[in-house]
Amino acid sequence: MRETAILARRALREGLRQPDALMPTLFIPLFFLIVNVGQVAKIFPTGGTPFLHGQNYAAFQLPTSLLTAASFGTAALYLVEEIEGGYFDKLRATPIPRASIVLGRLIAELPKSVIMSSAMILIALPFGVRIRAGLGGYLLLALLIAIWAAVFSGFMQLIALKTRSAAATNSVGFIFFPLLFLTPNFVPRSQLSRPMEIAATLNPVTYIMEAARSLVLDGYDWAALGRGFAVAAAAGVLVLFLSIRTVNRYD
Amino acid sequence: MTDASAAIEATDLVKTYRSKEGDVDAVRGVSLTVAHGEIFGFLGPNGAGKSTTVRMLTTLLTITAGSARVAGVEVIDDPDGVRRRIGVALQEAGLDLRQSGRELLTLQCRLFGMSAAEAADRTQELLELVELTEAAERRIQGYSGGMKRRLDLASALVNRPDILFLDEPTTGLDPASRLVIWDEVRRINAQGTTVFLTTQYLEEADQLCGRLAIIDDGRIVSEGTPAALKSQLAARLGPGADPSLDDVFLDATGRTRERVAGEVQEVQA
Repeated sequence: MRETAILARRALREGLRQPDALMPTLFIPLFFLIVNVGQVAKIFPTGGTPFLHGQNYAAFQLPTSLLTAASFGTAALYLVEEIEGGYFDKLRATPIPRASIVLGRLIAELPKSVIMSSAMILIALPFGVRIRAGLGGYLLLALLIAIWAAVFSGFMQLIALKTRSAAATNSVGFIFFPLLFLTPNFVPRSQLSRPMEIAATLNPVTYIMEAARSLVLDGYDWAALGRGFAVAAAAGVLVLFLSIRTVNRYD
Repeated sequence: MTDASAAIEATDLVKTYRSKEGDVDAVRGVSLTVAHGEIFGFLGPNGAGKSTTVRMLTTLLTITAGSARVAGVEVIDDPDGVRRRIGVALQEAGLDLRQSGRELLTLQCRLFGMSAAEAADRTQELLELVELTEAAERRIQGYSGGMKRRLDLASALVNRPDILFLDEPTTGLDPASRLVIWDEVRRINAQGTTVFLTTQYLEEADQLCGRLAIIDDGRIVSEGTPAALKSQLAARLGPGADPSLDDVFLDATGRTRERVAGEVQEVQA
């Protein structure tokens, strides 16, 4: 754990020293938030739309934007850069558990994601968006999104370790976008067409989105939260297992 | 027979890469022994298996067959034990360009188990050793090629290794920087560290190495002191011959100056 903590601190420092790499992860989700809300907000007015629970449509869209921001996986791009540049081998030549090299980066994703989520929520506040579950809800929301950020980065790191190519790692990152659209992205799951509802039900991202949305719109919906955190934890365990196996077998 | 006193002992090392096109044998049975305190040169043309051998000895690549003992530790059985006793500077100066020189060395010290205070002291020592004290707080991104190599060398020394592996440490450097690295290698060796050096520069091998081996097509084709290898070839060539290490290399690898020149022209065309 000591080595993991040391490498996590380095990964955090690296992120702070490359703010231009973080900016798109803030601005692109905000752009989608503005565009999506601008396009359909009139169809879903606050008063006449029960699923908004008295909030405006931006509140419904906020979790989508938070998930998008958490799904850039820039940590994997730093990793592949180090593989290509030789620093990854330098780390592998030290007497540390190899798993700590990938774990350090994943742990660093947690605070980075909390900062990004907090910034986006702060930006959304003047537009009338509120987190119905209050401060505790905000903390749970930030934690859930941070776990997803680590999961997604872990998935990207896996690709980086397998392909050792920045181009391949970058391309695979776009896999998230279909996953994001096969969710109750614009309306609740019950209002989707039947094929889309089936696709959304099979998509694990749906449950994370619904858990996040419940905190913003409803307060504490423990069933939704349980499903969301269970999916995030299961995906985390899977990604962790695969990442550790891959880095230990790296040749 | 295992030579317990050797710093490095490899026996029939084999590395086979598996690919869709079939197996590729990068190293086909390398056996070598390096004594404590030596500077041992490992020479060979591009793709001969130099780096693959180094990567197996330094635990960065799995060994397909054969065995190796490095600093008295079996590479296959106890790779962490080997890593604690060696320093590695690979072909690409493997550095994290976003860190400063001081941060990089401190991190490396911490990964070798030093406390924060010990790491700070050792970092300062190493910065002074490679004369990078003034540039220590600058990001590595702004370092020259020579400075990066010196920092890489320093990072390979954090744990006061018994054996230092240097894989083409001067490739791409200007002549002045190359001389600085040579001086560093001599100084490190004078302090008792065994050095295993791969290089494509025969002059470098001649200047630095007490003994060397030439590898070609995954096999060692010649081994000895530079002087012995030259005199063996001189004896074969007959009276009046005064071969250089270049001639030894070309003879051992079955290449000729004409063939090498032809290959170069072909590439240029």
